[in-house]
Amino acid sequence: MAKVLIPTPLRQYVDKKDSVDVTGSTVGEVLTSLTTQYPDLRKNLYTDEGKLRSFVNIYVNDEDIRYMSKDATSVAEADTVTIVPSIAGGF
Amino acid sequence: MIRIEPEAWKEMVRHAEATFPKECCGVMIGAEENGARRITLAVACRNAYEGDQKDRFHIDGRDQVAAERRARELGLDVIGYFHSHPNEDAYFSSTDLKHSWPWYSNVVMSVRGGVFSHAKSFIANDDQTAAEPEDLHY
Ligand SMILES: [Zn+2]
Repeated sequence: MAKVLIPTPLRQYVDKKDSVDVTGSTVGEVLTSLTTQYPDLRKNLYTDEGKLRSFVNIYVNDEDIRYMSKDATSVAEADTVTIVPSIAGGF
Repeated sequence: MIRIEPEAWKEMVRHAEATFPKECCGVMIGAEENGARRITLAVACRNAYEGDQKDRFHIDGRDQVAAERRARELGLDVIGYFHSHPNEDAYFSSTDLKHSWPWYSNVVMSVRGGVFSHAKSFIANDDQTAAEPEDLHY
């Protein structure tokens, strides 16, 4: 089981938990397990077309999956997957 | 209501002034109880915006992962984010709103001529179409 760290605003969709242990050997599989278990989370992470939302970043340990193999990035038992809100701005 | 404890506030002002004339950014860590938010730790982050940073910021995701880890070690939560507006008032711009997340507190700090001027906090609604000002104490 890999551990997925849930950012504070999304905990309301996962029974107030701050992390969820799920099965899966790739990021895609891990997130599918997570959103199958907690369907309300799905619309917060994915677009209607099933693509990861642009303001959602996924890290495996300290690495951004965009610079690895994206959804196909492998996840081992001891890995931590973190859902990281993309926060930016300007004036 | 959000209260920023002195140590955290000192770090936010230090980072905002040191980063001037560029925008600074960071993570605010603390706890929420009965709708009252209390920030006990501010973590200065790198501005990863590629381009002129005098009026733009993008929090470095690696710094967020580190801050998230630190919050959990302390038994606390990431409650929000802060950033500065160099030589501009503290307001939540349409760009800020568009690139924010709901629920979080967003503290905007006005820095004029390298010196902290004033700050305001905002919370965006669920579809990021509007943000409400939040009572800020520091
Ligand atoms: Zn701003």
